[in-house]
Amino acid sequence: MNKSFRSVFLIFALYFLSIDQLYAARIGELVESNSWDQIKRFFTFSDRGLQLSLIGALLFGSVCGLTGSFIVVRRMALFGDAISHAVLPGVAIGFMWGMEKDPLAILVGATIAGLLGSVLVQAIVRTSRIKQDAALGIVLASFFAVGLCLIRMIQNHEGASKMSGLKTYLFGDVAVIDSSDIMTMSVIVVLTFVLFYFLYRPLLIVSFDRQFAYSLGIPVRLLDAVFQMFLVIAIVISLQAVGVVLVSAMLIIPAATAYLLADRMNKMIFLAIIIGVISAILGVFFSFLGSNLPTGPFMVISSSLLFAMAYLFSPKNGRITNWYRYLQLKSKVRKENTLKLIYHYLEKNAEAKEGVNIEVSELLRTSKGDTKGKLSSLRILEKSGSIELENKKLSLTNLGLEQASSIVRNHRLWELYLTNEANYAADHVHDDAEKVEHLLSEEKVKELELFLDHPTVDPHGKPIPGRGQV
Amino acid sequence: MAEIIDNSPALEIHDLIVSYQKKPVLYGVDIAIPEGSMVGVVGPNGAGKSTLIKTVMGLVPHSHGWVKIFGGDLKNSIKRIGYVPQRESVDWDFPVSVMDVVLMGCYGGLGLHRRPGKKEKDKASEALEKVGLEAYSKRQISNLSGGQQQRVFLARALAQESDLYLMDEPFAGVDAATEVAIVELLCQIRDQGKTLIVVHHDLATAREYFDMILLLNMRVVGFGKTENVFNAELLQKTYGGRLTALSEIADKLAREKI
Amino acid sequence: MSFNQIFVEPWVSHFSAYWPILVMAFFVTAACGLIGNYLVLRKISLVGDAISHSVLPGIAIAYMIAGSRSDLAMFIGALIAGIFTTLIIELIHSRSKIKKDAAIGITFTTMFAVGVILVSLYGADTDLDLDCVLFGKLDFMASKEKVFFGLPQIVLTMGFILILIILLIVLFYKELLISSFDPSFAATLGIKPRLVHYCLMCSLSVVVVSAFSSVGAILVIAMLILPAATVYLLTDRLWLMMILSILHAFLSSIIGLHLTVALKVSTAPACVVAGMFLFILSWIISPRYGLLRYLSSSFDLSTFQKEN
Repeated sequence: MNKSFRSVFLIFALYFLSIDQLYAARIGELVESNSWDQIKRFFTFSDRGLQLSLIGALLFGSVCGLTGSFIVVRRMALFGDAISHAVLPGVAIGFMWGMEKDPLAILVGATIAGLLGSVLVQAIVRTSRIKQDAALGIVLASFFAVGLCLIRMIQNHEGASKMSGLKTYLFGDVAVIDSSDIMTMSVIVVLTFVLFYFLYRPLLIVSFDRQFAYSLGIPVRLLDAVFQMFLVIAIVISLQAVGVVLVSAMLIIPAATAYLLADRMNKMIFLAIIIGVISAILGVFFSFLGSNLPTGPFMVISSSLLFAMAYLFSPKNGRITNWYRYLQLKSKVRKENTLKLIYHYLEKNAEAKEGVNIEVSELLRTSKGDTKGKLSSLRILEKSGSIELENKKLSLTNLGLEQASSIVRNHRLWELYLTNEANYAADHVHDDAEKVEHLLSEEKVKELELFLDHPTVDPHGKPIPGRGQV
Repeated sequence: MAEIIDNSPALEIHDLIVSYQKKPVLYGVDIAIPEGSMVGVVGPNGAGKSTLIKTVMGLVPHSHGWVKIFGGDLKNSIKRIGYVPQRESVDWDFPVSVMDVVLMGCYGGLGLHRRPGKKEKDKASEALEKVGLEAYSKRQISNLSGGQQQRVFLARALAQESDLYLMDEPFAGVDAATEVAIVELLCQIRDQGKTLIVVHHDLATAREYFDMILLLNMRVVGFGKTENVFNAELLQKTYGGRLTALSEIADKLAREKI
Repeated sequence: MSFNQIFVEPWVSHFSAYWPILVMAFFVTAACGLIGNYLVLRKISLVGDAISHSVLPGIAIAYMIAGSRSDLAMFIGALIAGIFTTLIIELIHSRSKIKKDAAIGITFTTMFAVGVILVSLYGADTDLDLDCVLFGKLDFMASKEKVFFGLPQIVLTMGFILILIILLIVLFYKELLISSFDPSFAATLGIKPRLVHYCLMCSLSVVVVSAFSSVGAILVIAMLILPAATVYLLTDRLWLMMILSILHAFLSSIIGLHLTVALKVSTAPACVVAGMFLFILSWIISPRYGLLRYLSSSFDLSTFQKEN
């Protein structure tokens, strides 16, 4: 945790040093050129406006990742959505205050509106029988509607020209971020990170187990209030770039992506910060290519793409990864079933020994179904050196016999376990053992043998193959 | 409709495996419950008692095995089941009166979009009378005590006139006097030849209340006449923890989905 | 502004302009409010929000393909988008450790983002723009060609949908009631709670999509929930809730209309603000579940007596 925080601070410090108070050309004002030139300009970082946008993206992307991690683990995703809509009237009132884009007034207004929204949600839930979901919906839509009315009134009063500044707060435009915005943002971001650093442990406990937190004497209510404060602040500083309508996505999606990839809170936060920053920067890049497009949606789509990648390819539980694992297991099951078939044949007709020749057609006759599949798995077994195939005859090698007896041992041990310990009827255990035999690890088998006191006969009276009898 | 064979058991469960959110809850449950019996399902917390009932009703999918009700499929026989859910499973702030809830028991007999009429209302008030709540029929349901709410559910099940009753902890949060009254009512139902399966958590009273006991802890530990099953060894086995190998493997089985 | 200008003039001198706006506002709010009762009682209020956001790309694509507003294309586009979203939400939350709320949050914001991009890229050619998404186009009702009783076609369509919803609720009252109250018990009666749920979702989508052009994508949630939440505090009977929520819809559209005149704002947000005031009023003064009642009862022991 320490390390990750320190490195993030370092990056911030470097960037602050590189900001000059120069006039910044805005992305939107640039003459349109072909997209290749734009890409080149993007990567040379020469453009002042672009630099500011990127610093902004870095700042709010990291805060969203940080706060969002707690939102996701506390299952407050929809709460975040409601609060992010609720800041709109605050933005409008902040705008009315000076009748121009005054970042501080807007910041204060939006924060107050957001906090008011979250207080109202809790008040409704606590004092009436309306449940959380409806309370969120009410606050979300009512506040948003009030905000829309206020915006229209500003428009009527001031004329449409002033509106352009306000419109960016709805769908986001990273290009309007100027250096004074960056200064405000960076102060807030640093403060947020410092506070989170000190409150990390209690926040973790409260998020995981409230009752326990109470019992430790942690001021849970106070922490909740502080956390909601963070949430509102994260929303507010992302407003210009992402817009009211979509800012909740920047809280949820990067953190959810990190949630898929990490299984510790500190790793998750670290990843969420990185993913938040990457998606914000990708968003800047995409909107840089086209002109006059809102940036918020591009940031959201970038982060959703990252989420989709994690969902499909996450090493632990990705869909594609799992599918691949499933295919592997299936081929293992097929291989083991074929070996078992050979073992049963040998057991019935002679002694289970290596090197005894069996007619392939004879073997196939002993079981129904899919001949083709069996032939192909015989071929695979030959390749792996478990059997020898010659002249339509096959024989088990030493290795093959060991493998085959191990799978039969698993089967019969499990049958015995079920009848002895789980009160299964002897004629009910076979189906279950058919599946379980493929899943027992060597360790588990040893445990079972010990538990059952090294049995030699299964419930049907068949011998359980021992170890090293070959 | 389900073909009814005289001597087929009220409920037959064969090798049932249920896993819930990738966690195994029931493993290899294999029982047959004869008609006209009152069965107590007993086991520790998390033993899968409620899951068993929900699986019988098809509310929870099972990964292996089958369930037969009066010898027929669940699909054909589901209307012969009466269900008393746990009290916490519904929202008591819901804007309905006691009468409305009991009337729900009669909905099964009505077709689509037909309203409950006089006949249904009479049946519902009769059921309310049986549980002693006729005075409360106009009340909104959140204005009832825990025991009264439980009795509303019972009245609804009575109005359903089923042949097999599945009850999930009907005595939870009920005072002693009400509990006795409910047991009496259950015995009356049983004496009409109906079958009752009751999830119960109190060992001390289970012995008096039920003819048959099903000891459950992920698997069936014991099932049979109360006097045969209710012994120290089986109880020890039920409450003595799970078979670790079984739960681990079942866990793996559910995850790999062969 | 004088009283006369706000409350009398719209009805006397501008009747033909405000009449269709009022009727449309009422139809939309009433249809949404009726469905909303079930959303609130089933505690899935935010599903309405998710659906209204996620149909946007479907509507935008339908606009692009059909050239201009065509109700059928819009419905089909929205339906496809809606089904797609539901599938994705299900896929994310059942096949990974992501919880349902986050899965909903991820999916609908992404769909909405796609929709916003499509609208801002290609919306210029049609009458679909970001203003429409935000504010709705209730105010433009008056400029449409009038077919019946001074009402344009789109208002009549909405009226038809309202009647359809009322009919469905009357016909399937008991199925909806029981599967909302106790879905597992409904299953034992042979009523399939999942089927009822999907039918409800379908009618919700129809209402949301037809409300889209007048109230936009974001304010729909208010139309869905505010009436239900307001009347939920006032009565304990479901059928009375239904009737009162229609009354709420009527009051909020009338008050909203006058707000529009007074403040010169868009009608849809103004109706929501009016609905919000009605809600706050009922929250404060509700005789049984209100704030005043809560405050007065928290000082004596009557709340504890109810527990036993």
